[in-house]
Amino acid sequence: MSESRIEGYARALVEIAEAEGNLAVVENELFRLARALEQSENLRSTLTDESIPAARRQAVVEALIGGTATNTTTQLVGLVIGAGRGRDLPAIVDKVVKRASSAQNKDLAEVRTAVALTPEQESRLAAALEKATGKKVNLKVVVDPSVLGGVVATVGDSVIDGSVRTRLDQVKSRL
Amino acid sequence: MRLIQLIAVEDPSQTHHWLFPETAEIIYGGISSLIIFAAIYKFGLPAAKKALNARTERIQKELDGASNALSQATQEASNIRAAIGDIAGERSRLVAEADQQAATMLTEGRARITAEVADLEARGDAEIAASRSRSSDELRGEISLLASQAAQRAVSASLNASAQQELIENFINSVGAAR
Repeated sequence: MSESRIEGYARALVEIAEAEGNLAVVENELFRLARALEQSENLRSTLTDESIPAARRQAVVEALIGGTATNTTTQLVGLVIGAGRGRDLPAIVDKVVKRASSAQNKDLAEVRTAVALTPEQESRLAAALEKATGKKVNLKVVVDPSVLGGVVATVGDSVIDGSVRTRLDQVKSRL
Repeated sequence: MRLIQLIAVEDPSQTHHWLFPETAEIIYGGISSLIIFAAIYKFGLPAAKKALNARTERIQKELDGASNALSQATQEASNIRAAIGDIAGERSRLVAEADQQAATMLTEGRARITAEVADLEARGDAEIAASRSRSSDELRGEISLLASQAAQRAVSASLNASAQQELIENFINSVGAAR
């Protein structure tokens, strides 16, 4: 899909979420879904398979996040999947998150950890990153087992890498 | 002995010695001899002279011919000697030239062989060094791979829940203290 079309979808989703008054929640749910889509080959192939009817794919989305996500998020994902743009959902969501962050005057802080963070840890980590970068951050946590341990935080162009994976890679290259 | 006795014995009946002729006989004999000598001188001597001259001329001609032949032979011998000299000179020149070429070829060949040997030695050294380096790199890579795999296994095994939380807390604290 072209960049302008991805931008168009992102703008539409943000405006709908803002109209519904729950942009922060929606963009958070969309972000988690997009990362899950990236990490699951089966889910990605199911939601992007053009041979499966759109209604069936939308039903899969409904079954997947219907119980845990807001109705707005479920409907918006169903809209994108039904339009046959499931393959571009991660890119659209990334734009949504950036727009949402900008709307809140925050920078997106994508954090990857091997295990899930508690809400208290997320709060302290956001505060620590804001202190370190001097910017307000919109923290998004991705659970990524390949990190092995520790945390990798990306704020704008800055990467703060405290992961075990990177340490191991450094040891390997030094060897 | 008898002859001496005859010469010595003088016959008193004879008017002159039996060995010497009569005077008239001497005169006649002398005149006859003169006539004969004159005839010989007039007729025999020119013929003899002519025969001698012809013989002399023939001998001279033969001598001249022999002299010419000798001269030609000498000239021919000189030519042959010159030719032999030329051949010897040419042979010497060719031999010298061949020697020079052989010396040049030998020098160039030695230089080329020396250069080739040096090149081969350098290539051999480089190949040995490259092989050593390659083997060393491969060994180092293998050790590195095994060590990193072992390190990953050891680290993964030690990363229990409390270790994970400790890493996260350390990260939060270090980032918070960074500024």
